[in-house]
Amino acid sequence: MDGRALSAVSPDRRERRIALVVLAAGLAALAGLIAAAGENPLRVLAELVRGGFLTQAGLADTTVRAIPLCLVGLGIACAFRAGVFNIGGDGQLLIGACAAVACVPLLAGLPAPLALAGLMLAGMAGGAAWGAVAGVLKARFGANEIIATIMLNYIAVQVLSWLVRGPLQEPAGIFPRSARLPAELRLPALIDGTRISAGLLIAAVAVGVVWLLLARSRWGFGVTMTGQNPDAARYGGIRPGRVTVTVLALGGALAGLAGIVEVSGLHGRLQEGFATGFGITAIAVALLARLNPLWVPVTAFGFAGLYVGSATVARATAVPFPLVNVIEAAIILGFLALTVLRRRAGAD
Amino acid sequence: MDWVLFIGLLASGVRFAMPILFAALGETVGQRAGVLNVGLEGIMLVGAFLAVLFAVLTGSPWGGLVAAIAGGAAMGLLHGLFCVRLKVDQIVAGIALILLGLGLSGFGYRLVTASGALGPVPGFQRLNLGPLTDIPVLGPVLFNHHALVYIGVAAAVALAWMFARTGLGLTIRAVGENPKAADSAGIDVDRVRMAACAFGGAMAGIGGAFLSTAQLAGFVENMVSGRGFIAIACVVFARWNPLAAVGVALAFGIAEAAQIRLQALYPGVPYQAFVILPYVLALAGLVAAARAAHLPAALAKPYRKS
Repeated sequence: MDGRALSAVSPDRRERRIALVVLAAGLAALAGLIAAAGENPLRVLAELVRGGFLTQAGLADTTVRAIPLCLVGLGIACAFRAGVFNIGGDGQLLIGACAAVACVPLLAGLPAPLALAGLMLAGMAGGAAWGAVAGVLKARFGANEIIATIMLNYIAVQVLSWLVRGPLQEPAGIFPRSARLPAELRLPALIDGTRISAGLLIAAVAVGVVWLLLARSRWGFGVTMTGQNPDAARYGGIRPGRVTVTVLALGGALAGLAGIVEVSGLHGRLQEGFATGFGITAIAVALLARLNPLWVPVTAFGFAGLYVGSATVARATAVPFPLVNVIEAAIILGFLALTVLRRRAGAD
Repeated sequence: MDWVLFIGLLASGVRFAMPILFAALGETVGQRAGVLNVGLEGIMLVGAFLAVLFAVLTGSPWGGLVAAIAGGAAMGLLHGLFCVRLKVDQIVAGIALILLGLGLSGFGYRLVTASGALGPVPGFQRLNLGPLTDIPVLGPVLFNHHALVYIGVAAAVALAWMFARTGLGLTIRAVGENPKAADSAGIDVDRVRMAACAFGGAMAGIGGAFLSTAQLAGFVENMVSGRGFIAIACVVFARWNPLAAVGVALAFGIAEAAQIRLQALYPGVPYQAFVILPYVLALAGLVAAARAAHLPAALAKPYRKS
């Protein structure tokens, strides 16, 4: 028994208490922010939920946005499980889309289903390569993957900017964008009258595949082992460098797939800024899913609805759209505070 | 090469280096104390926005600077609250700060713009150091800058001296290298780390303020565009040495200044090839420094009394 046992509050209980205060203060701060914009927080909340989840148009938009979020989130869940912080979802998504669109001439003349599959594979290959760059930099040279993936994001934005003004620009050469994809390279609509494409099915398949890989394969075991105890993993014959590279390549492949699904299923062509901010939101998606691929579609849907609902709020009220980023941050911080409450509950 | 052009390049390189330098100096102190904050980008955005807002409200860039320092320190303390007091994952808490800064600065900026309260921004003026400024070559490169430039370099020197020669420096290093030993020596590890978090946040706030009220005069959403992350690369490249951080930040500043000029010099080359220069430099820096780097032993590890 040391002095600590005599004091009234143990450090564990103090941490719990701080976490509770933080949660309450965070909610109050959010409400205060909305009030500062001159709106009633409860009305804004109701509008947000209604706009994102309770109207037909809102639900459709939310589903459309959930598809890429789910795909990118799956890859991030794998990486975080291995203790690899992949913040490069955005860059991998862009490069995947670029690589796939660059391959369009090669796919001409193939039977439609084959051409479409080829397009998706090209997107995955492009994203995987971009992710693997960060993986190799980390595994071979020890370069921090957080900074590396973010730098690669900024570089990818410029690559896209160059391609749509250069080699991939539409023949008319006026706008910085590519030509429209031919009809046989467009993902068909899944539900008529909405913009929801067959990308939804691709995301569903990806959830199953990633779950199988993580839960049922040797590779998945190595990933989880490396994240939980790198030394034990190494002792068990798992090479952490290889895990780092493969996990970033897989995340890149999924993000690249998300990129080409956006182009082929939604926009129909490559253009600047066609997909921004998926990478960081996907981190929140993966975290809230507790890095479990089966929960990723659920949390992806939730964050997609938050985005769509925030856009509704910004149109209907005086609350500016960037509120969505504040709420995303608050959700991550709230999630962290909740883990504090959970990890101590029952421990003493 | 044209001398005038070259002098202009160095002079603006010094200015471009400053936002990175301030953020990197703060992050150096934080990391030396064992706290990794990947959310500098978000803090710099808040600093940049607050600096503009309060420069307009108070009519002086110094008023803006004070607000940026306060806002930055508050965000640093928020990070500390989570990763020092609550011992959660420092990187995840930092990622939340990126989003928070992006959201708060964008939210505030749109509110203020909608209310029409944002007039012309009274930015920092360059100092005129009389005869010093008139020296050929050296004058424009070294003696024709905003006061904050000299404050930044002085801060680097002061921090280097603090780490090498003072008890405070020793305390911070002990907390980051061996918190258990520091604890048994009677140092309140968490308190030192919280202070380092606040300092790191305040410095990132100054970095943002420099960007929006000295280098430029105005706020644009997401204007920090990666400098917060480059600052972290700068810390690693400089091996947690404040004086080396000045050199590394200068390299980044000159790269940024150079890429703008190279775009004009080589119109035949796609300009994007030049825009990526600072980012490629950061990647190269990470690769070059990482293997040799001796990072603080307790970096990103929460400390609990056993």
